[in-house]
Amino acid sequence: MMRTRYLIPIGILFLNCLSPAYAEETELVKEKIRKLEQRLEKLEKEKNTDTQAPTASRNTVSESSTSTGVSRAFNPAISANVLALGTYVDQGNADQTRETRTGMRIQEVELVFSSWVDTWLKADLVLSIEGTQTVNVEETIAEILVAQNLSFKAGKFYSSFGKHNRLHTHAFPFIDPPLVNEDIFGEEGLNEIGVGLSYLLPLPYFSELSFQFLEGSNDVQFNGKLNDDFLYLANLKNLWDLTDDVTLEAGGSFATGKNDVNSRDYDTTYVSGADLTFKWKPGGRERHQTLIWQTEFLTSSRDQVRAGAYTMVQYQFARSWWIQGRYDFSTIKENVTEEKNRWSTLLAFAPSEFSAFRLQYNRLNHFTTDEHQVFLQLNYTFGSHPAHNY
Amino acid sequence: MTFQKKYYIYSTFLFLTLILPQISHAEIRIVTTTEDIASITTEIGRDKVEVSAITRGYQDTHYIEAKPSYMVKANRADLLIYQGLELEVGWLPLLIRGARNPQIMPGGKGLLNLSSAIVPLEVPVGEVDRSRGDIHPLGNPHYHLDPENGLMMASAIAEKLKELDPENAAGYTDNWNRFRQKLESKIIEWQSRLDAIPDKRVVTYHTTWSYFLHRFGIQSVGTLEDKPGVPPSPRHLADLANKMNREKIKIILAANYHETRFSELLASKTGARILSMPVSTGGVDEVTDYIGLFDYLVERMAAAFQSGEKS
Repeated sequence: MMRTRYLIPIGILFLNCLSPAYAEETELVKEKIRKLEQRLEKLEKEKNTDTQAPTASRNTVSESSTSTGVSRAFNPAISANVLALGTYVDQGNADQTRETRTGMRIQEVELVFSSWVDTWLKADLVLSIEGTQTVNVEETIAEILVAQNLSFKAGKFYSSFGKHNRLHTHAFPFIDPPLVNEDIFGEEGLNEIGVGLSYLLPLPYFSELSFQFLEGSNDVQFNGKLNDDFLYLANLKNLWDLTDDVTLEAGGSFATGKNDVNSRDYDTTYVSGADLTFKWKPGGRERHQTLIWQTEFLTSSRDQVRAGAYTMVQYQFARSWWIQGRYDFSTIKENVTEEKNRWSTLLAFAPSEFSAFRLQYNRLNHFTTDEHQVFLQLNYTFGSHPAHNY
Repeated sequence: MTFQKKYYIYSTFLFLTLILPQISHAEIRIVTTTEDIASITTEIGRDKVEVSAITRGYQDTHYIEAKPSYMVKANRADLLIYQGLELEVGWLPLLIRGARNPQIMPGGKGLLNLSSAIVPLEVPVGEVDRSRGDIHPLGNPHYHLDPENGLMMASAIAEKLKELDPENAAGYTDNWNRFRQKLESKIIEWQSRLDAIPDKRVVTYHTTWSYFLHRFGIQSVGTLEDKPGVPPSPRHLADLANKMNREKIKIILAANYHETRFSELLASKTGARILSMPVSTGGVDEVTDYIGLFDYLVERMAAAFQSGEKS
């Protein structure tokens, strides 16, 4: 009895196999199974994502508490940058007080902390250790989006004057800053405590208008005698896409404030600047090539009128290699002994986006003397993934 | 023309250029980081959305910079959809910040991370640091190359559109169902095309293709890059060439944005064929949408395997 019960379906199956429709039907069954498998997999995935989502926290949350129950989940993103520098100059090697002198040093160590404070405020803190001794708060910025297109920031920051002044030392295109930036704003650049508004103009291209109200403590240009002598700064930055790969940027900046000159005729400083940048940065297979041509002009007037400019070309010719050239000058009106001009060339090898070796040669002409300078810099960043500023 | 007339014309023009972009459209304005996401979003949103992608399909999304013009795009978006898993980590945070658009700020309604809809492959275990190359701590971010994940992405997009625009929810559901049916039947077609080939082994340039290979049962015997994002050492290439000769691997699979010299070197040592293929919609001119991408990839893969069998 038992046997016949099995025999019947087996027989039917056998007969089925003989039928010409067999091949077609198995295909259908296969397809159905495949569909069901896919649906099952999908459901399993959905179930997984339901219990584990969101992805970003999937890995970290479970590991974020220490044995003492202290949560690390909200630690800020931290990164560190180190600049190690070797310098050779052919002049003044007997003078140990020179800023640019032969020797080896840690140029700067920078620590960057970045995080959201709450649902409104985004905070960035940059601590810099110049050399190996003193710690400075290089930037501390709290930023908030006030309204559509309008953001506000407060703290201490590199003011939005032109192109070069916004950069941290490790992001300088050359190892040293342009002569004119150094002469007009000093070694540290125009880095001030204050507040700033920046407005993205509702235009079809990028156009950003910034106003900054600053303490004005820069002692080369401002540093007014009264406590209520502030610095006012405006900047307009425009950028157009000429093609998918080529952009043109043009900007203008203006800053004014009281200074510490003891003469009523000269007690206000005016600084203005203009910049123009072409950038070719393809995104496809040629993405390991870049060409940047940037020119910036700055002038300041107080008891003396200073002016100067730089123009530089940066060319990335292979994945890890850059070659660059720069010409810059800085002058003081009616004072030829202070005239400086410089030719620079730089070769960089950057094995990854996190490290670079840079070799730079300068021929600096200061009035009648020529000085030859050679720098070798190791520049590396570790920690959270840094963003690539355009 | 009097001065006054001129003045009026100019001021009207200025007013229009300032105001026109602000006038809201009936459609939901969506910006996506990739053309694949843009393609799927268009399928789900159809005439109710206006979609534009930031990166082009022939570009390597990981190496993009936060161009200010992208910020202008994102400034006017109601919704920003991105791939996640740190694919866009180098530029998206700056872009969002620069866009000054409260809708798409982190935690906002208008920001959608599609990676939370899928299960990532190759999530690194153990300690993670950059001595291992350019690794993605949250897993391989090229998940759109599995069409099954395309379904999950589409589902997440449909949900988001329904949330933002409940009035047209029924339409989005219909579009999603239509897209799902189309893609599901396509997946069966693609699978049977590749299932018919018995020996499917390749060497890849980077781990870009993991999801694609996983879905279609193609075995990767090795990668040109010893470590992700790092150019291969001659030693590694020599080892790989030996392995390919030993195991008779005839195909080197590379994204068409990867440099060709290492693939060419390896090909010259092994006689293998380089398949340089688009990773995204728009990666080559013929590939204009997400489904078209797989039509292209599957057809090229199958043809390459079959020509290898004959030789």
